[in-house]
Amino acid sequence: MDDQLPALRLVGLRKHFGRPAVDGLDLLVRRGEFYALLGPNGAGKTTTLRLVTGLLAPDAGTIEVMGVDMTAAPAAAKAKLAYLPDEPMLYGKLKPFEYLEFVAGLWGVAAQDAEPRARELLDWLDLSQHAHELTEGFSRGMKQKLALAGALIHDPELLILDEPLTGLDAAAARQVKDLLLAHVAKGGTVILTTHILEVAERLAHRIGIIRQGRLIAEGTLAQLRERTQGGSLEDMFLHLMAAP
Amino acid sequence: MRLAPGSVGWLLRHELRLAWFNAAGGKAADGRRRPGNLALGLAAAGCIAMHALGWFAVRQLAGVPGDDPRILLAVSALLVVATTFMLSSAIKACVVVMFERSDLDLLLSSHLPSRSIFTVRLLGVSAGTAALYLFLLAPFAHAGLLQGQWRWLGIYPGVIGLAVLCSCGAMLLTLALVRILGARRTRVVAQIVGALAGALLVIASQLHALTSRQTQERIRDTVLGLVQTEGAADNLLWLPARAMLGEPLPVLLLGALAAGMFVLTSWRTHRFFARGLQLAASTPSIASGKASSTPARPRFGRTLFRTVVIKEWRLIVRDPQLLSQVMLQILFLLPLFFLIFKRADVQVQAIGAGLALLCSSLTGALAWIALSAEDAPDLLRVSPASQPVIRRAKLAAAMLPVLGLVAVPLLWLTARMPTAGLVACLVVCGAVSGAGLVVFWCGRPGVRSNFKGRGKGGMVMNILELFNGLAWGAFGWLLSAATLGPLGPMQTFAAAGAAFLAIAVPGIARMLRYKPM
Repeated sequence: MDDQLPALRLVGLRKHFGRPAVDGLDLLVRRGEFYALLGPNGAGKTTTLRLVTGLLAPDAGTIEVMGVDMTAAPAAAKAKLAYLPDEPMLYGKLKPFEYLEFVAGLWGVAAQDAEPRARELLDWLDLSQHAHELTEGFSRGMKQKLALAGALIHDPELLILDEPLTGLDAAAARQVKDLLLAHVAKGGTVILTTHILEVAERLAHRIGIIRQGRLIAEGTLAQLRERTQGGSLEDMFLHLMAAP
Repeated sequence: MRLAPGSVGWLLRHELRLAWFNAAGGKAADGRRRPGNLALGLAAAGCIAMHALGWFAVRQLAGVPGDDPRILLAVSALLVVATTFMLSSAIKACVVVMFERSDLDLLLSSHLPSRSIFTVRLLGVSAGTAALYLFLLAPFAHAGLLQGQWRWLGIYPGVIGLAVLCSCGAMLLTLALVRILGARRTRVVAQIVGALAGALLVIASQLHALTSRQTQERIRDTVLGLVQTEGAADNLLWLPARAMLGEPLPVLLLGALAAGMFVLTSWRTHRFFARGLQLAASTPSIASGKASSTPARPRFGRTLFRTVVIKEWRLIVRDPQLLSQVMLQILFLLPLFFLIFKRADVQVQAIGAGLALLCSSLTGALAWIALSAEDAPDLLRVSPASQPVIRRAKLAAAMLPVLGLVAVPLLWLTARMPTAGLVACLVVCGAVSGAGLVVFWCGRPGVRSNFKGRGKGGMVMNILELFNGLAWGAFGWLLSAATLGPLGPMQTFAAAGAAFLAIAVPGIARMLRYKPM
């Protein structure tokens, strides 16, 4: 029964900050799906993600994470997701292991699961040799990778990422992409926003394009191509943005 | 007048403009970057009041001879006080110049000679150091000028000379620390030295009160000897005071000393200044390199409460700059500890009141760091963890170290004087809980790097914190006095009032609690 529920369902979602930031957004992301949310600056992508993760309260509409209503049962909904914003949520004076220990504590992960998982994630992301250093001296890429390890420590069913590849070098970006694909391969769901259209083109099962807080196009790459008679995703994106 | 770009005058104008913008204490809500009209109005009113005070004081002191050793002693004492404060503010200004001013990269990457940049920065530090004292004392010089008492004009060269000497000393000290300790430690050590210099007299006065009667008499005799011996007025120790009182030769000597020191400092150390700035710029990577030597010992599976407490303690202990600012408050506890452990005639009222005030202040500072200056608030909010449990754990992380710090002296006191000890325990627990709860309910989000300016973010929190400390301090004083003998009606009334206020403060904090948007 549970497997039939979508990973994320947004119905009539609204949020105003003086002007509408999210304006009646309906969205459905299936389980095990890699979903890319695209849009120009100020389109409402980050606000949508912050609403979904419970960081903002919606003015109207419903948010369901794995069938759990975020407004009615926020703790139960949050237990199923992880959020990685564009600025990693880290503590400069903690070491990677300590950071993971703290995040595991927040999500109530049992010690016998958390410790091996922390080691596995740090190994995978090439951070093991820096496990005893304070994160304040880390490069942008290392910080982003550690934040991703923190997001994955409780093995979330829904992983939400806001511009996860910004500022990463090619090697770090590849590691992050591989980890995300592995998460989806294991049955997890990933929703990400990105300005790097090539990432969405290559990784995402479905792509949603948002403008002025509304979903203006959605589908697989082939469906979007068909709709816009475009070539690359970039052409399609620019075509949709230019439309009145 | 048009100043040639890159000249010392041009740089000085840039420096003064920045100082004027920064006088607002940061960008105001309306985007303005200058002192507000209210602040300017208050400064003008203060200036007029000081001129009125100066006018009457100068007239009253018209017939007093400037070479009376008692006058020289009084002026010298004032100069000692002013010098410690000047040195303190000059060291803090040097730390800002070396480590916190972001425009130096731009200036040093330009073709401008580092000597000019350094000279202007040193001038800026000197001007900033002298400004407050000139604001307070220059009206006396103006009054002297208007009343024909020229000697009062000595205030100008006296204050400026002292400020320049203190600034040069502070800059040389900061540069020496960079050379010896490296940039990272210098930032912390210089701040501690600066704060110690500012607190020197307070601590010295407390230590003086703790010395034996014989020692106090010896000190008094030495000072009187300086004043009463034959030819006391000619002692070289009075030279700065004589300069301040406008005697031409001492004024010239002080001026020459200050100018010589300034030229030597700016001309001989400008290269090291540039080198120090480069070291300061590389501070973060140095910090990370050092930290790698200690392996992390994570323990997964703790309860949420303990996880949060331990995280908060780790963050505080590993931030030497923040820790030094917090721990400086403990410095004032030392004389109290000395009283508790050493003196037979324990002044229980002072202990009760002092511990309450200091524990309240220390808890307020730690609670602000743990509760208000959370580095990753979104991480906590996005997690399914209970937010009330997290906040209670943060409160405990702030309160427990303070209680732990005073536990041993309190137990010692309780063992020696049970009633007084129990009273001290009560007021300390009350003061710590009150201060913690005030920040718990009224603390507004801030950033750790702004620890010193945390008061600007929440007037309600500040006022309630102050009242909490004062109320528990007064209650502690009066209740401790009650252990020695019955209180009079007024004292009983005051004790009841203080107790009521101490209990009311957390209640008011709860009513006025901060609600995030």
